[in-house]
Amino acid sequence: MKKAKPWTAYIQPAIAYILLISGVIIVVVPLMWAAAASFTPNHKVFEYAYPFSWRALFPVDFTMEAYDNLFERGFGRAVGNSFFLAIATVIIGGAANALAGFAFGRFEFRGKQFLFLSVIMLTFMVPVDLTAIPRYILVNSFGWINTWQGLLVPGLANSLVIFLFRQFFAEIPQELIDAARVDGASWLRVLFSIILPISKPVLVAAGLLMFISQWNSFFWPLLIAPRQEMRVVQVEISLAIGQYGTVWNELLAGSMIAAIVPILLVMPFQRYYVQAITGTGLE
Amino acid sequence: MRVSRQFIPYLFLAPALLLLIVFNLVPTIATLVESTFVLSLRSGERVFAGFANYNRIFNDPVFWKSFQVTIVFSLLVNPIQIFLALCLSILINQKLPGIGLFRSIYLLPIAVSLNVTAIVWGLMLDQNSGMINGILTQWGIARQPFLHSVDQALWSIIVIASWIGVPLWSLFILAGLQNIPPPVLEAAKIDGASAWQSFTKITLPLLRRVLAFVLVADTVANFLMFAPILLLTNGGPQLSTNLIMYETYRRGFLYGDLGASSAMLSVMLVIVFIIIGVELYLLRGQD
Repeated sequence: MKKAKPWTAYIQPAIAYILLISGVIIVVVPLMWAAAASFTPNHKVFEYAYPFSWRALFPVDFTMEAYDNLFERGFGRAVGNSFFLAIATVIIGGAANALAGFAFGRFEFRGKQFLFLSVIMLTFMVPVDLTAIPRYILVNSFGWINTWQGLLVPGLANSLVIFLFRQFFAEIPQELIDAARVDGASWLRVLFSIILPISKPVLVAAGLLMFISQWNSFFWPLLIAPRQEMRVVQVEISLAIGQYGTVWNELLAGSMIAAIVPILLVMPFQRYYVQAITGTGLE
Repeated sequence: MRVSRQFIPYLFLAPALLLLIVFNLVPTIATLVESTFVLSLRSGERVFAGFANYNRIFNDPVFWKSFQVTIVFSLLVNPIQIFLALCLSILINQKLPGIGLFRSIYLLPIAVSLNVTAIVWGLMLDQNSGMINGILTQWGIARQPFLHSVDQALWSIIVIASWIGVPLWSLFILAGLQNIPPPVLEAAKIDGASAWQSFTKITLPLLRRVLAFVLVADTVANFLMFAPILLLTNGGPQLSTNLIMYETYRRGFLYGDLGASSAMLSVMLVIVFIIIGVELYLLRGQD
């Protein structure tokens, strides 16, 4: 006969759940309040936050006012700019990084080790924000201030993404490639008709990583493209804060739009995204 | 046209490597070079100035104050984040019903940008009508000034940074935990090791590589903390949150003193290289 578990066996899971739920509260409450407040008339944004009531977490005085005003004042432009930049980065940067990852993962050539250590590792280790000022001077000398090139081109190549591609391509069985090479396929053909179709996991991971880091990037767009029609979402919301007479519900509405796009992208592809971020740390 | 075979890998590498060299590697070196130039006020041209910029920043109390704030911030935020991330990773590694849902929820902050986090938490911590003060008063605790107080502003920044940082770094540690083969821990259990013993004697040593990586990556990321300062405190009150990355931005872009700014960035670059050197040392000779 199976013995029932003693009541002490439930203590550990109970503590675990209590801690897990406390953590969830810390994660979720700010987002719920911000979302609820973005659907609230501006004069009521803090109404249930101070003094605190549970109503603060739900849009009890629901209105689309903040979103309507935001888009009337041209926020759609910033959303469009951010989408355009992120998608262009995924397509153009993705192609360049995949080619480089393929070369490092599948070819033997002179200088491979040297190039990998001196360019990929070094650029991976030095944070981009740290070198923003000379990059700004350089890009300025090209006449690229307030231009799409200035926003886009410096962020296309990404050593973390090259890393991901290299790792994936290196693990593809050689027989698969040999068979195609024997049939006379060129390397470019091997890449596009054999390797890419089986590369869905790495493509999703790299695509997410590039899209989200471009969507969330702030420092570089702030320096390089301050002109209004070039502003991206992150810059637009940052300039709305602290200005004389901040409109709270609009600021939060802008923040929610900035937040929801990466959240909606990450949720269905969690596993890929986690692999993409943690991939390099475990090498 | 047919390209000779041995050029193919270089062709594949060319676009990405050229971009990395032009926009990442050259600026890294240029940071060091730029720090030896000043902008002449008379001609508007850049003039070589040797160590003049360094002289200026090293004799500047604002620079030293921001250096000091950055060190204090680093010594607080990194241990706090790594300790909490370790706890969180152990929690979400438990085999409990519904754990997948918890893991998904803990991914939310990682997808959200630091700007949005700073804006939302900035309003939550508002000294007059923020929700945190709303909760505190309900518990009978007096309202706190948070971002407006010399004593609390840096701690507020730590909370904001950790809201993203803790779940982010816990992902790395979780991946490390999942790499530990279950038989190793089962064997320890059979040999009568307590949960605490198997954690300190088996789990922690096996996490050494991951923890070393997280320590360095976290230290470097927090060393460059910028957005919350720009959005919420502008370095104040009384320079108590004037982290060095914000100081370089203020000098370079608000005051137009790119020379001093580059000199500070060069100092930071050297520090980052030292941190990375320590990482390579810690990770050397493993497996």
